[in-house]
Amino acid sequence: MIIQVQNLVKRYGDLLALDHFNFQVNDGEVFGLLGPNGSGKTTAINCILSLLKYDKGTIEVFGRPMAPDAYESKRNIGIVMQNVAVFMELRVEENIDYFCGLYVEDNKVRKQLVEEAIEFVGLGEFRKFYPKKLSGGLLRRLNIACGIAHKPKLLILDEPTVAVDPQSRNRILEGIRNLNQQGTTIVYTSHYMEEIEQLCSRIVIMDKGKTLATGTKEELKAMINAGETVSVELYVLRPEDLARIRQLPHVMGARYENSRLTVRYGGGKHNLIGLLDYLKSQELSFGQVYSEQPTLNDVFLEITGKHLRD
Amino acid sequence: MSSWRSQANICGTKGVVNVFVHVFCYRLKCLVRNKEQVFWTLLYPLLMATLFFFAFGHITLEYEQFSPIPVAVVESNAFRQDVTFQQVLNNLSQPGEKQLLELVVVPQAKAEELLASGDIDGIITVDETIRLTVSQLRQSQTDKLQSGLNQSILKAFLDEYAQNTMTVKRILAQNPAAQEQLIAQLNVKHSYTKQISYSDAEPNTMLNYFFSLIAMTCLYGAFWGLRNTTDVQADISDLGARRSVAPTHKLQTVVCEAAAALVVSFGEVLLLLVYLALPLRIDLGNQVGYILLTCFVGCLTGVAFGTYVGTFFRKSEGLKVAILIAVIMLLSFLSGLMYVNMRDIVARKLPFLSFVNPATLITDAFYSLYVYANHTRFFINIGLLSAIAVILCMASFVRLRREKYASL
Repeated sequence: MIIQVQNLVKRYGDLLALDHFNFQVNDGEVFGLLGPNGSGKTTAINCILSLLKYDKGTIEVFGRPMAPDAYESKRNIGIVMQNVAVFMELRVEENIDYFCGLYVEDNKVRKQLVEEAIEFVGLGEFRKFYPKKLSGGLLRRLNIACGIAHKPKLLILDEPTVAVDPQSRNRILEGIRNLNQQGTTIVYTSHYMEEIEQLCSRIVIMDKGKTLATGTKEELKAMINAGETVSVELYVLRPEDLARIRQLPHVMGARYENSRLTVRYGGGKHNLIGLLDYLKSQELSFGQVYSEQPTLNDVFLEITGKHLRD
Repeated sequence: MSSWRSQANICGTKGVVNVFVHVFCYRLKCLVRNKEQVFWTLLYPLLMATLFFFAFGHITLEYEQFSPIPVAVVESNAFRQDVTFQQVLNNLSQPGEKQLLELVVVPQAKAEELLASGDIDGIITVDETIRLTVSQLRQSQTDKLQSGLNQSILKAFLDEYAQNTMTVKRILAQNPAAQEQLIAQLNVKHSYTKQISYSDAEPNTMLNYFFSLIAMTCLYGAFWGLRNTTDVQADISDLGARRSVAPTHKLQTVVCEAAAALVVSFGEVLLLLVYLALPLRIDLGNQVGYILLTCFVGCLTGVAFGTYVGTFFRKSEGLKVAILIAVIMLLSFLSGLMYVNMRDIVARKLPFLSFVNPATLITDAFYSLYVYANHTRFFINIGLLSAIAVILCMASFVRLRREKYASL
């Protein structure tokens, strides 16, 4: 067990930011903390890192209670903050060297680690640049390089892709996957469900400081009734045909608007084939067909009655 | 790329010295590359020094340089017959270091013309008595501000001559035999007051402006102290949060960075001293060791002050900078930066303030080094300044030692 958080309670005055929050992170996994803005993700991370006082609960990292002077544990943690936290007066390579030097004493080893980190985030041609000369995406990569250069066992990334261009985002996500493959345990917080789905092997969904659900994405999706959603372009659909479609196996609902038929399933397999067979049998000509699997947003919607980005 | 996990936890027990050097060196880089702050803490004082030099420097020189007093003697029979007076005037007009007068003998009308045009400072007329005519204080064609000093010297000289002449005549009338002894006595100057020099330097009020400027520059070390605290507190900056997660003791980081701030601040003050002493040729005294000690303790107080403001107020950095500027300018004003007599006024009206104002203490330390050979007053200033620095450091430490925060 890398992290164990039990019954964590944190109040900001009258506001209950974390309400008996629980989760565990196992060695070698990519653990996702998913929740809308203000759900308590960053507060939880700051409590784990011993930056914030909390009112109740226990936090253990690497099997030991976490405290500001738990230097042995801290030495094995890397952190990538939500906001870019680098020195504007230091060049790219100097920033990485500075933060690496807080963890690694040996100069030769440190130099090698800095080179590897620069290569890892693809900032080789920008190594002499000052941060203010970097684009938002490159700055985020520098932020990550500063957090990973010392090769931590546990890497915590708090919304590292906010305001990042798609190219840099893909590079960052690919890098995180590589880090995990090389043995680093990752804790990843985001309100982007696509990223969490892409990256994380286990996820905790939280809202208003509470744990709503924990599990793999398959386990989370299995908790709700929603299956795939099929959309078909149809130029004509009689009301009696719509009624019959609603009677097909596993169909939870169907609607026809703007020449588009949308059918929601509550499970089952090969639903798309069944629907197309029915349309052919009724000689209904159709255009493009789309099939979407349920997302974590559907899970969140099912549990809370609101969308993740509300 | 080598295995990511394989090199994890390679650091083992960190050497405190290595970390100190690492943090210290990078902090130095951060501070000296902060162009805006370097401008205000170094270039601005240099500009002010230049301004002070052109505003006050030449006034000082005018006071210090003495040139022979231009004076006219009116041509007359009485003057031609007064051989003694002629000899005295000739002696005082001989070119050389001791030349007192620049003498011309002209008719009355010409003498009045010269006086009116400002070419001479006075007219000596010899008839039954010796009279001096001077003009009112005015600005001459050379645009020098005349103070009346030359006129006073002329009057003092003529009064003394008249008194001596009268004394000699009276003594010889009563005791002609004393002539030889009298002549010998006249050549001997008796002084009934004793001049005691407290130092080798001449008092110079204008130097106070430069002393106050040095004090202000020392206190500008506060900006470096403030910057340090902003970057080290997790509840103030993201950098502070990131660094708080690192396995480095917070106090160690604070001490390393304060040392870097002190080095930068002290270096800037040294540059200012060199600029004052060499290109501007301002005489700051010759007690170099004590001057450096004053600057060092002044910079320490400045850095400690900035650290305290940075830890005490949970406001934006911009507001904290504004607070520092306002407070330092006020302290410098009270030490005589803008009005040279302000330090004396404060010392008379609010003596307590003089003992707690670091700018005044630094200025006064410089002044006492310059004026007094005795170091008692200097060490009182340094002691008080050190006490202020220690109090500010301790108060800052109490705030900085927090390692967990209620909110970020």
